[in-house]
Amino acid sequence: MLLSGSRFYSRRLLIRNHFQRATFATATSQNHRYIKDNWEAIIGIEVHAQINSNTKLFSDTPTSFNDLVNTNISTIDAAFPGVQPTLNGRCVELAVKTALALDSKVQSLSTFDRKHYFYPDLPQGYQITQQREPIARGGSISLTQLDGLDEPIKVGIEQLQLEQDTGKSMHDMRPGFTLLDLNRAGTGLMEIVTKPDMRSSHEAGLLVKKLQAILRSVGSSKANMEEGSMRCDVNVSVHKIGEPFGTRCELKNLNSVRFLSMAIDAEIKRQIIAIEQGEIIESETRGYDVSSDKTFKLRGKESALDYRFMPEPDLPPLILSSDYIESVGSTLPELPDQCRTRIMEQYELSLTDANVLLNESGSLVFYEKVCIGRNPRFVVNWTLHELFGQLASRSIPFQENPISEQQMGSLLDLIQNGTITGPTGKSVLKVMLEERSNEMPMKIVESKGWARMGDSEKLKTLCENLISQHVEKAETIRNGEPKMYNWFIGQLMRETKGLADPTELNNALCNALGCKLEDMTSAPAGGSAIKKTKKSKGKKGM
Amino acid sequence: MGPLDGMLMGIKDNFCTSTLPTTCGSVMLKGFTSPYDATVVKLLEASGAILIGKTNMDEFGMGSANVYSDSGVVQHPFTYRRVAGGSSGGSAAAVGMKMCTAALGSDTGGSVRLPASYCGVVGFKPSYGRCSRNGLVAYANSLDTVGILSGTVKQASVVYDAISKHDPKDPSSMPDKLRSKLDESDSILRSQWTKGNLKGLVVGIPQEYYVDPMSDDVVDVWRSGIQFLKEQGATIQSISLPHTHLALPAYYIIALAEASSNLARYDGVRFEKDKHTDVSKKVSGDMMLYADTRAEGFGAEVQRRILLGTHVLTAGTFDTLFLPAQKARRLIQADFDQVFYQHNALYESSVEQEGQESTKVHVILTPSAISSAPRMTDVLERHESSNDVKAVDAYMNDVMTVPASLAGLPAITVPFGKSAVDGYPIGLQLMAQYGHDGFLLSIANSLAKKQK
Repeated sequence: MLLSGSRFYSRRLLIRNHFQRATFATATSQNHRYIKDNWEAIIGIEVHAQINSNTKLFSDTPTSFNDLVNTNISTIDAAFPGVQPTLNGRCVELAVKTALALDSKVQSLSTFDRKHYFYPDLPQGYQITQQREPIARGGSISLTQLDGLDEPIKVGIEQLQLEQDTGKSMHDMRPGFTLLDLNRAGTGLMEIVTKPDMRSSHEAGLLVKKLQAILRSVGSSKANMEEGSMRCDVNVSVHKIGEPFGTRCELKNLNSVRFLSMAIDAEIKRQIIAIEQGEIIESETRGYDVSSDKTFKLRGKESALDYRFMPEPDLPPLILSSDYIESVGSTLPELPDQCRTRIMEQYELSLTDANVLLNESGSLVFYEKVCIGRNPRFVVNWTLHELFGQLASRSIPFQENPISEQQMGSLLDLIQNGTITGPTGKSVLKVMLEERSNEMPMKIVESKGWARMGDSEKLKTLCENLISQHVEKAETIRNGEPKMYNWFIGQLMRETKGLADPTELNNALCNALGCKLEDMTSAPAGGSAIKKTKKSKGKKGM
Repeated sequence: MGPLDGMLMGIKDNFCTSTLPTTCGSVMLKGFTSPYDATVVKLLEASGAILIGKTNMDEFGMGSANVYSDSGVVQHPFTYRRVAGGSSGGSAAAVGMKMCTAALGSDTGGSVRLPASYCGVVGFKPSYGRCSRNGLVAYANSLDTVGILSGTVKQASVVYDAISKHDPKDPSSMPDKLRSKLDESDSILRSQWTKGNLKGLVVGIPQEYYVDPMSDDVVDVWRSGIQFLKEQGATIQSISLPHTHLALPAYYIIALAEASSNLARYDGVRFEKDKHTDVSKKVSGDMMLYADTRAEGFGAEVQRRILLGTHVLTAGTFDTLFLPAQKARRLIQADFDQVFYQHNALYESSVEQEGQESTKVHVILTPSAISSAPRMTDVLERHESSNDVKAVDAYMNDVMTVPASLAGLPAITVPFGKSAVDGYPIGLQLMAQYGHDGFLLSIANSLAKKQK
């Protein structure tokens, strides 16, 4: 629109970097599955996503994140004598919704089991989970060229099950002691296990991001790896194509998509080198060290515990009628892929723009509301580029955007119908952001006296006055030398405080001078170039 | 005035009370005060009962003689030479000595009926799910039942009415819809025999309960019970419950597996009030800490049962022990469903109605125990020998009571006679179809008319 080429690009980059924190995969990964010498990596992921319910899975204690330690626990969470679990229906609903969004088959009957092991942050001495008969089986997630892959793939889902989260153990805070925070103990989790269908860290990273998007759009989890509302464990093995799959290792404690991808690459590398040197891969659980870009052993699988699974005797089987499953299905929102396709078509958006809207929570709803009755391209420029840009430069995340759809819409209308100029629009936006004003744009325009000066009479008078004060300069223009034209425009802009519509202003001046605008060809068009800022590289003069 | 106003009651020490400690007879919970009250305790208090104290018990409900308790052995109310029985020994003895009118106990495999039989009092185990287990420290969730011990059947009925309510906090509590359906069937049945005359009542005598270890004095009392009911007009019917022999092993496998799980939370670090050991010195690798503190907190019998239960759940034996035990349990339940006239409301289909009409019964009559109260010296000798095999011999005492526990049926022991040999009480057990608790109590009342 009014932006110069280079500024346009830099602003887009600013927006993209601000709102898309994690870029795709790693520096070393490429967009294909081939490693070298016929090696292939087999990757599967086990996700634990905290359920976004108000209370825990088996007690009515509130769920929390970063609340004061040990303030959200009940006798049930702390496993006191004589307590019993009662299933939280909201967690079931969210799990069913998630399963449907993943195209998974919701089971009409599922059961709960106890998984036993001793650890301080597991007060019961067992975790209630759904080992044998989970709430949903099967399903898949598709990744296509729109997501950034060369070739589309479909990653299968094994199952989705409900289970309890543990408390938090902190080993390093006080030497010789392990401190326990049980706020998290008993929070509901959805465990989602994929099939080993991924072949590169790039695919794995995309899968995790796609799953996050789905969980967030369904509303069943905040799915934030950094905050711990989503944890991913990855299983990695390598083999030569045509040979059987190799032994797999599990990677844990990966708290971002980026680290996840880097860890996978490091592990693939380690396994290949080891096998090429004649070593055998042991089945292990490993962590990832960023500074050395290597995985390291956490514990061996031989000392893996026998969890002594036993049906949970206090809880009856969970029976879900097809009516119930259908009614939950009817509350499913539009899922990320469908949404993306639709908005790209409906609003003629580029893939990049569509992705920005999808990834920034709340921005799509905002955008679509403002679009009602307005030109989508116009709205895109002003929301995605102008508004987002201004938010980004002030480090305000979109969720804290103080400007309402009504304010935005009204602002756009004012620009569209000529009440204010484009540059003025930007100023109003700035005011609304800085002052966090609830005022409608018109009020701001009025209070600042920023209404576009479109009164041609007034302009005519202004021009005539200026000309009469600088007759010699005017004469040079009339004599065929447009050099001074810009100077006049500049003076007029200053006098009108930039409120004059540029086109009208040019017309008025030309009329007053008795010239044609085309003859002033070297004069740059538009107000923004004239309103020079320090950064501007706008053309000067002739 | 509440229905139980002024009734003095004892509460077995595995029911959580906020005003008195709840120790479950164990060092592990020594001095522990629960922050909340068990639902049935709250209901009793609301009905006006006066709770005079917590009664002694076998540790965590594990035992049949009440010798396994941190608070010491419970003696028989008539003599210190005999045991009171367990695990609700304290409750049975307190009622037997008339310290209180009634007492709460818990019955997992016979823990209310056995001591009641030994002590000559009434011991009632309602249908599973009738009374809330919330606040009852779990031993085996699928078997634990709140039970009542009292001097008379009438007293047990009154207490039962106060505590048999649905509790949403207990996921195994009988839902209201099923409850009303069963209550209706129950009262129809009960209304048939209100006049004292038992004409038309068919009493089943299961042949498989006539076991080798049963002492002759018990057989005699059983016979006189049968005779008495005949005189009241009842019809006596010999029946077969062919899978009875599986009951004891199935019970111990299931109960111990669940127990090992339920007791996993007792790490020996959190609940005990005055620790004897300095926990901070035990940090020798974080897993080893629990082995030490748990060994100190649990008595020998509990440790034995936890180890057996853990073994049953290990990856290899789950399919060879635990699952078959659950299947056996279903077979035992089916045995009962075949002989009762009443349909089992827990099942939609009438598959279990295959038994012949001619061998159907309304109630079943058996002894409650295979002997009168055992000698203290015998029991202690076995206990002190720390011979695991001998200790397990004691499990035989539960053979009469365990099948009703596995099937979740209502069962009651009524003091009917005395041993011809030693003069100690011998109780008779009545069982009815699932949910027909009121009916069972009324028949038990008729049987109890004999006692002086």
